[in-house]
Amino acid sequence: MSKPHYDREHHVKKATGIGDPQCFKGEAGPAKFKVGDKVRVKDLPDIFYNRTQVYTRGAPATVAELVYESPPAEDEAWDNCDNPEWFYSLIFKQTDLWPDYSDTFANDTLETELPERWLEPM
Amino acid sequence: MAEKHKPAPMVDEVSDFEILEVAVRELAIEKGLFSADDHRRWTEYMNTLGPAPAAHLVAKAWLDPEFKKLAVEDGVKASLEVGIDWINSMPTNFGTPSDYCNLRVLEDTPKLKHVVVCTLCSCYPRPILGQSPEWYRTPNYRRRLVRWPRQVLAEFGLQLPADVEIRVEDSNQKSRFVVLPVRPEGTEGWSEDQLAEIATRDCLIGVALPKPGVTANAKLPVHPAVNPVDHDH
Amino acid sequence: MTNSVNKAPDTGQTLPDLDTSPIELLEKIKREGRAWDELSEQYGVDNPDPPWRLSLESTCDALNGGYWNISALCETKEDDRKPEDEDRKLDALERRQEEDELVNQHYADIPFPERQLLSLAHSMIRHGLIDEDDLAKHMKVVEKRLNMV
Repeated sequence: MSKPHYDREHHVKKATGIGDPQCFKGEAGPAKFKVGDKVRVKDLPDIFYNRTQVYTRGAPATVAELVYESPPAEDEAWDNCDNPEWFYSLIFKQTDLWPDYSDTFANDTLETELPERWLEPM
Repeated sequence: MAEKHKPAPMVDEVSDFEILEVAVRELAIEKGLFSADDHRRWTEYMNTLGPAPAAHLVAKAWLDPEFKKLAVEDGVKASLEVGIDWINSMPTNFGTPSDYCNLRVLEDTPKLKHVVVCTLCSCYPRPILGQSPEWYRTPNYRRRLVRWPRQVLAEFGLQLPADVEIRVEDSNQKSRFVVLPVRPEGTEGWSEDQLAEIATRDCLIGVALPKPGVTANAKLPVHPAVNPVDHDH
Repeated sequence: MTNSVNKAPDTGQTLPDLDTSPIELLEKIKREGRAWDELSEQYGVDNPDPPWRLSLESTCDALNGGYWNISALCETKEDDRKPEDEDRKLDALERRQEEDELVNQHYADIPFPERQLLSLAHSMIRHGLIDEDDLAKHMKVVEKRLNMV
């Protein structure tokens, strides 16, 4: 498997003066989820470069914010910026992530961002 | 006692590490991995970075509720008011490849405490906060904070009651985070500069609470995880 | 070479086989080199970081892809571009994962940022970006130059 490739020229032209992820605004189409939705993180096969933490797989979360549109890391790493997705900021209960997380601290949460492809409705 | 005319001390020998850094860089340039010009621009940029802008962003937010609202809604726009342009002033004019352009300011409340980590690799809001401290980069911090936040915070000297929600922010994508802590008591009538002084880097990461009189960060030993967390499920 | 599938612990992705065997030159530096902690204490210097720290960070970022000389790249036709023009020579996430592994295996007793520097050199050699012998030779050249009075 060869190393990830990054298309500098295309990105430069697209993002100069605008910023990344701002340069992908408007490209993802309608968002599948909205703030407040309950979702679950899918456990997709880990063949390639991804930024979806193992500890989130299969866990339930609530959508806190629609943060930006962007190609997911797994596409960007292969120079594929054609399909940006909505990225969501998700809030997980720690007691859902870790079996031995103390119930005394049942209010504790964890927040992280994931692209739409990794999420399914609950 | 300092002697008035004594020159500042300096390290008067060349270490193998210093030689290694130069040699790696020069070989890389010779092999065309990057240009000397690229490296110089990066170093110049790095030299401009530090925690002061983020500290002032927090201080301004404490002083002005409208600015606080802006900071929470649009971190990139708010950054402009402390002299940091995530998009245009970066040498690339579209942000750096590892910092991107999406600052999110996390507002603490008396019942909600944020703390930031990047489990994957130690992403950090360098444009507004400077270089990350070594402890932030260690697997020890990265793997333990997500799972045992209260224990890790206790090691930093921070203990919070159970009714305060601790929210760990795992910075795994393009957003970068700065914590906006609750303004502490005993700071009434303070100027922006005075407030910025207590908004230390540790407070902006979320491992400390700002306190009048505390203007320094913790100096912690870096230690390996005794029982590394097994993340497989 | 590892026999089992090498997985990144945090994302589960399968990493390319990383040869994490020790590198003689770097082992030598590890044994004999004097880290900043030691030097700054001996000489009474307050600065917590060695003077080369930011330069090291810049090297890491430059390997991840610099964006300079944009117009020159844009002017090169796609057909004329060569694979070696591809400017992400050492991806940041990959480098950091390797650093975690290398520090764990070889450089755990070395302070920061020396451990980052050793890990970087190690990764670069293993990725074939620089050659160990070339590095050893060039270090001698640099040493001579830096020590010239």
